[in-house]
Parts: sequence; C-alpha cells; structure tokens
Amino acid sequence: MDRRPPTRRSFLDLLLGTTLVGFVGSVLYPVLRYLKPLPAAGPAGPVRLTRAEIGTLETKRFVIVPAAGTRVLVLRDERHALRALDARCTHEGCTVQYVPAQGGIWCACHNARFDLDGRVLSGPPPKPLPRFAVHEDDEGNVLVSTERT
Amino acid sequence: MRERRPARGLRGWLDDRYGIEPLVEFLRHKEVPLGHHSMAWYFLGGATLFFFVVQIASGVLLLMYYQPGEATSYESLRYIITKVPFGWLVRAIHCWSAHLMIGCLVAHMFSTMMLKAYRPPRELTWVTGYVLFALTLCFGFSGYLLPWNELAFFATAVGTDAVKSVPVVGDWMLQVLRGGTDVTIDTLYRFFAFHVVVLPLAVFGVIAIHLLFVQRQGMAPPLGTAAAPRGMRFFPNFFLRDLLLWLGCLLALVVLAAFLPYGPSIPGMEWDLGRKADPLAPAYPGIKPEWYFLWVYQLLKEFPPHILGLEGPQVCLLVVFVLLALWAAIPWLDRAARRDEPSPAFTDLGVAALLFIGFLTLKAWDVGTSVELPDEVRAPLAARNAAAIVVGVFAVVTVGRALAARRWFVWSGAATLHAVLHGMAGLSYLAAGTVALAAAGTLLLLGRVAGRSARPAGTGS
Repeated sequence: MDRRPPTRRSFLDLLLGTTLVGFVGSVLYPVLRYLKPLPAAGPAGPVRLTRAEIGTLETKRFVIVPAAGTRVLVLRDERHALRALDARCTHEGCTVQYVPAQGGIWCACHNARFDLDGRVLSGPPPKPLPRFAVHEDDEGNVLVSTERT
Repeated sequence: MRERRPARGLRGWLDDRYGIEPLVEFLRHKEVPLGHHSMAWYFLGGATLFFFVVQIASGVLLLMYYQPGEATSYESLRYIITKVPFGWLVRAIHCWSAHLMIGCLVAHMFSTMMLKAYRPPRELTWVTGYVLFALTLCFGFSGYLLPWNELAFFATAVGTDAVKSVPVVGDWMLQVLRGGTDVTIDTLYRFFAFHVVVLPLAVFGVIAIHLLFVQRQGMAPPLGTAAAPRGMRFFPNFFLRDLLLWLGCLLALVVLAAFLPYGPSIPGMEWDLGRKADPLAPAYPGIKPEWYFLWVYQLLKEFPPHILGLEGPQVCLLVVFVLLALWAAIPWLDRAARRDEPSPAFTDLGVAALLFIGFLTLKAWDVGTSVELPDEVRAPLAARNAAAIVVGVFAVVTVGRALAARRWFVWSGAATLHAVLHGMAGLSYLAAGTVALAAAGTLLLLGRVAGRSARPAGTGS
C-alpha cells in the first residue's frame, strides 16, 4: 500500500477539513435541538373528567379526553362498565370513536374496526389500541389512569 | 456579414452599463423544436409557472388578513370569506389555482416522460422538475392545515403519521414536523412557516435552476431528430402563444373561482371551511385527502396489518418510496432513450403508472356507488367500477398505440390485469398485484428467450 509521508499541504487540508466539519456541526447542532419540541407539560397522575365531559359520556356513551400525553377514548359499554383506550388509531393516527349500535370502536379514516378491548377486528391497523385503567367512584367522578394496562 | 448597429434608447443605455446585447442575441435566436408530436406538451411548464405566480399573488393577499393561532386561524379565514370584500374570490382563486397548478405539473411530468425529454443531456432537468413536484406537494399539504378545520386536522394527523415509519430518525422527524407528539396548534405554526417562507424560497431557487437548464440546453427535440430538428422562433411566435394560453388559464381560473368558490364537490377537491378543528372529536365518515394523495390513501387501506413480519403501513410506505425513487431514476434506467432510440417499454410504463394511480384514485372516490350503501357493499362495487374504467382506458390507449405500431403492452397490461383480478374477480389487492407482476415477469422472460433464439449466431452484443 502506497503510504506517502504527510506534507505541510496535506496537514493543512486535514486541519481545514476538520475545522469545516466542526463549524457545520456547531451550526447544525443548536438548530436541530431548537427544532425538537420540549415534552408537553400535562397533568401528572390520573385525569379526572370534568362535569361537561361526564355529561357527554352519558349522552353519547363516549368522550375523548386529553390524558397521558395523548387522546383517550372513555366509553360506557352495554353492561354500563367504563373502558378507556388510546383514541389514536394504530394505523395512521386518526381519532377513533365508539359506535354503540355495533358494540365496537371504529376509525372513519381507513374504515378500521376494533373490539372494546382494543383488538383489531378488521381493516389495516397493525396493533391493538392501548388500554388505560379507568375508575368511577360512588359520587360519579371518573378517573383515567395515565398508566397503560 | 453586415455589422449590427449599436442599440439606442433604453436598450443602448442598459447595454452600455450591463452588456445585455449577448442576452438579446440569445433570445433572438432561441427556438422551440418541432416534431411529429403535438406542440401542446411544450406549454404545460409555462402554465404551471403561471399558476404558481397566481399562488404567490393570491397568497400575499390572504396574508393581509390571515392570523395563525388557535383562536384566530379558522376565525380569520371565515372573516376573509364572509366579510372582506372579494375575500371569498381571493381564497377561491388560491384554492383553484393550487389544484390547477398541480394538475398542470402532473401533466407536464407525464408528457416529459412520454416524449423521453429526460434523456441525455437533460437528466438534471428531470431531477429538478421532480424536486419541484415534491415541493409542490409539500405546498399543498402544508397549506391544507392552515384553515384549522376538521378536515385539515385529520389530513395532517394521517399525513404526518407516515413520517414515523422512517427508520431510526422517524420519531424525531415526527416531533419536529408536528412541534410535539400530536397534531396541535404548534403544528400549524410550523406548517405556516413552511408554507409562506421555507417552501416559496426553496421553489424559487429550484425553479431558477430548472429554467436555467432549459434555457442553456433548449427544449428537448423529439426522439431521433437531435441532429437537425425543425424549430419555431421563441420570440415572438412561441411567446405569444404562451401569453394567449396564460390569458385562457386566467379566464378559466376566474370562471371556476366565481361559479364554484368551494370546489366542484368531488372528494379531494372541496374546500368548504366546514367546522373548526377539535382535536378531541372523532374523525367523521367520508374523510378523504386531496385528489393527488388519494392513491396513497387507498393503497394504505389495501395493505393488511402485517406482511412478512413487518407492519402493513410501513411496507406500504416503503413500496411508495421505492416507486417514487424509480420514477426519479428514469433518465438513467431508460437505456434506449439514452441512445436516442424509441423506448416503447418506458412509454408503456408511463401508461401503466397512469392506470395504477387511476385505479386507486377511482376506488378511493367510490366511483359509481351511493353513499347510502354499507361499506362492505360499497368497496367491492367501487373496485368493480374502477376496474371497468381502467379496462376501457387500456383498450382505447392500446388500440391507439397498436395503430401507431408501438407494440409493447406488458406494463399497462399488468396494471389492467391487476385491476381486473381485484375489481372483477374479487382477489385481494396484493394477491392480484402479485399475479399481475408474475405475469409481466413471465412475458418479459419469454420475450427475452424468444429474442435470443431469433438472433442469428454471432450477433450477440
């Protein structure tokens, strides 16, 4: 292998190249850090549904609330039990809805269907909808956990 | 040779200072090549540029009133439409012009493809045009969110979600694009910056390079006439025709905007303001993206949840990426055109691409079905109707091309077979596609074997 001894020119080229890479890096790094948003400051711990949200839950049988850094679908099934699932379709992120007449969850964007446990029944979603724990106390307050079950 | 007299007046004044005479001489001798094909194809680039200028002008007017913000985006646009004198017209012109610009751009790209204008030495003109096409789609996508209505919200949620499929940096890209993990008003701020600053600057730069290439090399002459193409003088003959076309475009634009200010009510071509975006509302039935994204939307629906251990949407987007990458590389793939010879295989590939995209778009449109039908009935019916239209188009194009003695129908035949197997025989979209590709591969292989056996010994190259 031909290994020529370093010359003053090759050393200066190396120095110049390294400086250039350093310069570009020093410009790009803060720009890339600036572009990435900070984590959203949301409520820590379980989320309590407001009276308006509970009203919607009772009339429409479901409501979508912000919790756990996402949109959570809270629904009351046929047995009057509460369930909470991630409202973002696992296909392309559209917001799903509970269809009481079909006893299932439906995404209108690409016609995907899930059962009430979030399992995919039909359509293209590759994963089930994540579930969250939900609790209703004796006074009718509804708490959605930010932990997935 | 007669010596030209020095210019007088303003031209002379400018020439003294800036030496513009070589430029004037260049324009005086500029010609547009003529051939056996219609000249109409040469006007599509100019028409696209015209609509882009209208976009800039109408966009600046909209900016006088539009205010990005959670409490102002939707409201300010509603104010423009309902209160500002001629505000509805300015917005209608902006929307119509966007659709017409993309329509002209697509037609321009396909005409370039069919005429093989991408062949050497114009490969980079094709690439810059391709980049402009991508930037224009970004323009459409980013502008879609700005009204902050329901349609905008879900279209952006779906469109940006695709980014997370990119390996390694997907999540980072998704957050940078959205300004967070989800689509919020922060996403709108970012899209606003892209739509009114970043993309216009990028498009201006790439258009300048694209036009520089076209001016430097001239328009591509028809295949096989590179040595001595006939020509039409650009000034004034071609330029006056261009002006006339632009006048026609303006007239069509104003008539469409005045009589159909909210679009022609075709899915993917309607811009009624609708309801304000509510991130906590479920997606509504019948939601569809703009017409130029419909084929990707439908393809995403056709892929099953998992393929070969990978997630269906990821594979689907990988397929789209590969197809688009192949499209960009066409100047290097089409070896016959590189030798300035006819390349019917690539003409057929262009027809196949139109049939492939057309079938998916027609199916996404639920063509020939009623909204009252349940989804389970509607989808196969739409597929059957779309396949029937594809077969009709294929028959017309094939007869036309057969009469022109261009006997190469493998790709367009495969695209039609795909549509027929899926739409009429009831095979799944992917199974039908696999059969069609296998049939095309077999035909190509048989053709190659037959070609070799027909070739006399010693003539192999």
